[in-house]
Amino acid sequence: MTTATLPIPQPRRHFTWRPSGQGVATLLITLFCAALVGYPIVYLVAESLNTGDPGTFPPESLGLDNYTNLIDDSRILSNTAFVACLATVMAVVLGFLVAWTLTRTRLPGRAYLERLMQLPYYLTPLVGALAWAILASPKSGFLNQLWHFVARTDSDLFNIYSPWGIAWVMALFEGTVAFVMIGAAMKSMDPSLEESSRVLGAGKWRTMLRITLPLVTPGVLGAAVFVFAEMLGSFAAALVLGVPGRFFVITTAIWEATLSFPPDYGRASALGIALFGVMFCSLTLYRWIIRRGTYATITGKAFRPRPLEMGAITWLLFALCCFYVLVAVALPLLALLLTSFQRFATVFVSQMQFTLANYQTAVGYGAVSSALGNSLLLGVSVATIGVVVMAVLVWIIYRSRVPGHSLVEYVVMFPQAVPRMVFGLGLLWAWLNIPIPIYGTLWLLALAYFTVMLPLGVRTLAGVVLQVDKSLEECARVCGASWSYQLRTVTLPLLRPGIIAAWLLLFIACVRELGVSIFLVGPNAKVIAPSIVSAWISSSTELSAALALIQSAAVFIALIVLLRAARRYSGELP
Amino acid sequence: MKTATNADGRIEVSDLVVRYGDATAVDGVSFTVARGEHVTLLGPSGCGKTTTLRAIAGLETPSGGSIRIGGQAVYSAAERRNVPAEKRGISMVFQSYAVWPHMSVFDNVAYGLRVRKTPRAEIAAQVDRALGLVQMRNFADRSASLLSGGQQQRVALARAIAFSPSVLLFDEPLSNLDAKLRAEMRVELRELQRRLDITSVYVTHDQEEALAISDRVIVMHVGGIEQIGSPEDIYHRPKTRFVADFVGSANLIGGKVSATGNGEINFGVAGGLTLRAWASHPPRGDEATVAVRTALIGLTVKGAEKATDGADMDTGNAVPGTIRTRLFCGDFIQYVVDWAAGQLIVRRPPTDLFAEGAEVTASFTPEHCVLLEG
Repeated sequence: MTTATLPIPQPRRHFTWRPSGQGVATLLITLFCAALVGYPIVYLVAESLNTGDPGTFPPESLGLDNYTNLIDDSRILSNTAFVACLATVMAVVLGFLVAWTLTRTRLPGRAYLERLMQLPYYLTPLVGALAWAILASPKSGFLNQLWHFVARTDSDLFNIYSPWGIAWVMALFEGTVAFVMIGAAMKSMDPSLEESSRVLGAGKWRTMLRITLPLVTPGVLGAAVFVFAEMLGSFAAALVLGVPGRFFVITTAIWEATLSFPPDYGRASALGIALFGVMFCSLTLYRWIIRRGTYATITGKAFRPRPLEMGAITWLLFALCCFYVLVAVALPLLALLLTSFQRFATVFVSQMQFTLANYQTAVGYGAVSSALGNSLLLGVSVATIGVVVMAVLVWIIYRSRVPGHSLVEYVVMFPQAVPRMVFGLGLLWAWLNIPIPIYGTLWLLALAYFTVMLPLGVRTLAGVVLQVDKSLEECARVCGASWSYQLRTVTLPLLRPGIIAAWLLLFIACVRELGVSIFLVGPNAKVIAPSIVSAWISSSTELSAALALIQSAAVFIALIVLLRAARRYSGELP
Repeated sequence: MKTATNADGRIEVSDLVVRYGDATAVDGVSFTVARGEHVTLLGPSGCGKTTTLRAIAGLETPSGGSIRIGGQAVYSAAERRNVPAEKRGISMVFQSYAVWPHMSVFDNVAYGLRVRKTPRAEIAAQVDRALGLVQMRNFADRSASLLSGGQQQRVALARAIAFSPSVLLFDEPLSNLDAKLRAEMRVELRELQRRLDITSVYVTHDQEEALAISDRVIVMHVGGIEQIGSPEDIYHRPKTRFVADFVGSANLIGGKVSATGNGEINFGVAGGLTLRAWASHPPRGDEATVAVRTALIGLTVKGAEKATDGADMDTGNAVPGTIRTRLFCGDFIQYVVDWAAGQLIVRRPPTDLFAEGAEVTASFTPEHCVLLEG
């Protein structure tokens, strides 16, 4: 066969598949997303190089002064490194033990526990930090007061306003990802690898040390690097627990710099870019570990690992799981609940004055209740519009054969690599300097939420799209259905569970959003998480507890709906 | 919805080329399928058979050539015409069945009829008829996600025939079934296809399946056609080394063509032996290969030739050898026989027992010793 009939020029009327039309649509969407994602970053880089008046754009003079000045901030950098390392170690050790316990031992209520383990993540680090501030602040913290009472001393047992306290809260409420990742690595290991070791005569412990541990090491290492990157960008715990004692990490230093008079955007940007650089390197290292270190025997296939008989140790591990649930879910929620109903937070029953005033303020008081309403409004609208746009993106990336579809994927996934705080800073700076007057309105918040949640939505939808066999759609076409008929009768019904899940996850992510919101809220556009922070800063612990509980309630309701939907549909898909 | 009326269902594929980027999956394939004929594309994975089928269905966009169904071009590079899949008036059974899990069995089968805006009463009648043909009438109300593999297969088949298409395409429809069910479905498919009188193109990598259910077989290899012929033709008269090796099992013996006659030739092999072989084409050059089917070689204990079989030793080939290995395989016994030109694989019925190490004579007729092209 020669190429005599080729190349075919531009297709005409009988071709329904128009590479040009689809290409143009893809190009437009890619450019739109690239602008949303790249625009703030460009501004951030430019500002970090601005050595003139920090308030002007474009910069009057360029230089590296902002970066060289960071050397003076070595204290902040060492603080960040210390807290991040500490939190990573705690999260990985805890995550490993819990994941091991839940995947490999026979525990009562394993499935139940596994679900509870994920709650701290949804509780959010902000709420967690608030709760632990109530639980373990020096002198007045519930746990310390209890200790004074029981041990009859005046010295404190815990001080949560310390690097250790910050790391502890970060590990508990952001370290959940370590548990999830290590658990996934353990579940994907073929049990026959261990069984063959046992059959060849190795004992239980020898098998564990020589076979199991080496096999899961890449997974654990990958999780550690990933969690470390997360911890570097962590903001809420350091904000609530570090700032009162003038203990700053990079993220809180960035926040501080934007609040100073005049705002030092140059310093903030340089800090942000530095943080982004370190985080990007960590994530690159993470990918490298996962790609190189994962043995071919650990496949994407899920196995049912054979539970080990661990004897008495089982109960020790069970106690550990219960301890985790206690300190990361039960105690924080109880502390918030008790505090939110009191006039002044105290643990002694004799001094308690119960009141509903905090909730009345939350729902009735103008600024606070508008923050609540705004958060719900943003959650619903961003989730609704976001799901539609992200579904189109997923289709372009994974189903169309348009050239450049992998570039779209890269653009869309990019916000994942940028710390939320840094992205918020970039958005702030970018939209302050653009003639479109949406700064300080809900429109900007919506746009910002959409941008930073692209990776979450696209990943969730892609998971479902990839599960739906392509031939299910092709079969409809062969049966004579037009594209729109096929979409209506086959594609959308099959994607429904994924669409519902993506909607709920986006809603949850919007309601709990802090890093971006804290830079973009205005007097007439408040949302809930920054309002919790400002209530806390103006030392209204009881009001912030009430707000935190209301936010958590919204998240938990969405979560329950999500689980229900997932269970209902799991039986219907093959 | 306008559907092309391809009532006569004849398929003509000419010079079809399909490229993915730089890779050429199908490279200049031409064949025709007559009305009501059942043709199978057979080949190993990656030979381009599925791509060819999907190009006929309209699910792949070819890079060159043309495809005509019922005389009308559905794809033509020269005319720049590419009719979308839904307007080609064909039907297809997918390898993964593609039974929609969110619908009932009835809704699955009725899909093509509903697309065509068929009246409700007729839909019910047609679905009933189609489900009846695959013996799934009792499952109409069942949710499709609750079916076993074999049942899904039947539903997919019923769905494909429910709207009475003129052309039916099969993409390895039996490959996900277990061996026993596969053998049963093979018989059912053959019967169904005779009853319905539909033109069909079937893709498989299973040579046994291809031989069993086809009117004609097209053997494909690396994007091109190796041989087209009836199942008997393909089996008894393989044209190329690839066909001889891929379809059935054959001994390939290298040697030299020494004398040619009308169809029959003399073929010299290692060890100074000369075989009588069959050539359906004039041999090119001296060096050549013949193929002998493993099942068409007789074995007799040495010195007892005249006592068995009555094979005519004067016109046939009879070579001495020694049994090296015996493998009992149930339906047959496989022997490896050492002889002057190497080793012969021989399959005999389980009643033909020879001891390992026994001296034997292997015999086969010239018609079963086929000269290959190249």
